[in-house]
Amino acid sequence: MSGHSFAIETRGVTRVFDSRKGFLFREVSHTEALKGVDLAVEQGAIFGLLGPNGAGKTTLTKILSTLLLPTGGRALVLGHDVVTDAEWLRPRIGLVLGGERGLYNRISGRENLRYFADLYGLPTAERERRIDEILARVDLSSAADRRVEEYSRGMKQKLHLARGILLRPQVLFLDEPTIGLDPKSARETRKLVRSLVADGVTIFLTTHYMFEAEELCPQLAILSKGRIVARDTVARLRQLVGGDRTLEAEAYGFEDTEVSALRRLPGVSKIIEEEYGPRTRLTLRVRTDEVRPDDVRALLPDHPELEVKERRTSLEDVYLDLVEEEAH
Amino acid sequence: MEPVRSEFSRGRSTLASLRIAILQFLADPQWLIPSMIAPVVFALVSYELFRGSGPYFLTYAILGAGMMSMWGQTLYGSGWATSQDREFGTLEPTIQSPTPYLYVILGRVLWNVLSGLFGGLIVYVVIVAASGGPPALPDPLGFALLFVFVMLSLASVGVVFAAFYVYTRYAGFIQNIGEFAFYVGTGCMFPVVLLPFWTNPISLVFPPTWGLDALRYLAIPGYRGFGWGFWLDLLGALGTTLAYLAIAGSIFHRVERHVLEEGNLSQY
Ligand SMILES: Nc1ncnc2c1ncn2[C@@H]1O[C@H](COP(=O)(O)OP(=O)(O)OP(=O)(O)O)[C@@H](O)[C@H]1O
Ligand SMILES: [Mg+2]
Repeated sequence: MSGHSFAIETRGVTRVFDSRKGFLFREVSHTEALKGVDLAVEQGAIFGLLGPNGAGKTTLTKILSTLLLPTGGRALVLGHDVVTDAEWLRPRIGLVLGGERGLYNRISGRENLRYFADLYGLPTAERERRIDEILARVDLSSAADRRVEEYSRGMKQKLHLARGILLRPQVLFLDEPTIGLDPKSARETRKLVRSLVADGVTIFLTTHYMFEAEELCPQLAILSKGRIVARDTVARLRQLVGGDRTLEAEAYGFEDTEVSALRRLPGVSKIIEEEYGPRTRLTLRVRTDEVRPDDVRALLPDHPELEVKERRTSLEDVYLDLVEEEAH
Repeated sequence: MEPVRSEFSRGRSTLASLRIAILQFLADPQWLIPSMIAPVVFALVSYELFRGSGPYFLTYAILGAGMMSMWGQTLYGSGWATSQDREFGTLEPTIQSPTPYLYVILGRVLWNVLSGLFGGLIVYVVIVAASGGPPALPDPLGFALLFVFVMLSLASVGVVFAAFYVYTRYAGFIQNIGEFAFYVGTGCMFPVVLLPFWTNPISLVFPPTWGLDALRYLAIPGYRGFGWGFWLDLLGALGTTLAYLAIAGSIFHRVERHVLEEGNLSQY
């Protein structure tokens, strides 16, 4: 593809699932999980893939980590094709799918790691030392010899992570690494992810949480219904949606004429209207400093119960706008 | 940071898989009881069944019950472990590792052969105890060696079966149909020559058919099995076993590719 060597590069990756139901009378359903994904991830970066349920995040993660073949297009990791060079890639990449499954529950965390260390080919001489080191790093040392079935959800997640980095992968794929974790464990996990980047690992991370992407990922893409709908830095994505500032006006319903008046204010790029029970919220994306909350209040004089707030446009706004637009 | 060079080897993976099978068994040793009861029951039933049928009835009883209690574990144990891998969600990280899945299966097959032999030992002890003495064996060492070989030949079929479990989560369904036919067809309980003639060619597809016939030739003076006799039986067993191993080696590669195409690794 290009001369520059990206850690991950995809061109028009598609994936179709044909699933069959029933044994004799088969009902075939056809799902286009990915509809042509183009991405490029720099070496040593954390790249975030954000998207709602069913967007195709897991599907793309599995394709990049050689667990699923794409139906079309091409994907390179470390410059090697994930389909034809899977054997070369497997020892060099780590994958954390997370969740409650994926571990042998009846044996200890340490034995799980030993087993996968053997399958992944961690040099025998190094095995025990490396396992101890990683258990300490994910803060599981004291629970290492307990059965995994006794672990909490967060501990299982840590064990998944430990397995993912056993071999010091050059690229690590994390599918929703903090899902289901309490805030403290989630914070620790994010800290660990950042420390890995300091070690030079390239990280490809999917998440539902905007703040997580905002906190961790200098570069990110938003995936919606199998398509990348935006791909940039957090700051530029804010711009993309039409402004760094957001004003919110809330009252018991607004007239159409009032909304049009707001729309005519210079610098207002977009207005989203949402109902909250009896109340309505208008969200205004504002490009310049010219529009202040008082300007909004001045245009809405008939609402004694009016509340106007100003805040920075968050990634969550960007995300909702983009995913919304796709939906229309 | 220096990336670690992967030093995976097939032997190491096979041993790791054997080890995890043992650890999982030890984690739940209550399975020991049902897996010991079945051989005892088979031994007693078979003892009653063959009692009085000639001077070598003890050997018949041991062979019948021994195979009954061992074939299931050896033949389906590794497939069952694969369906557990699906259920636990461990099939994905295993397939994602540099180790070809076949070697994970081989480790489990070794464990199944070991625990199958343990079942065989129980049968032997029960029948000897019931009859008050060991059977007359013309060549005990040859018998023991051939017995282990029959188990391995059975396991070679098991490896091929296990491929189905990787292939689809519906493998258990296929297995249930084939199960009964298989153990009658290979002569686990009765010599195959007692079956209707037309079934023989089908039986010959399975290595244990040959191996068991050879075993009876060795253990029972005057036994009349396949007309071609002991040595050709042995050759047939060896040939069919090798054929199954070759099939396993070639289909596993394709099965692994198929599941990556389908994306059904986490379904169960
Ligand atoms: N094995 C499969 N068979 C059939 N359809 C599938 C399969 N895996 C995924 N899909 C479909 O592909 C689409 C994308 O799924 P995917 O799991 O990649 O989404 P996701 O972004 O990871 O969602 P979530 O946030 O819920 O994890 C969905 O419509 C899903 O139903
Ligand atoms: Mg997902």
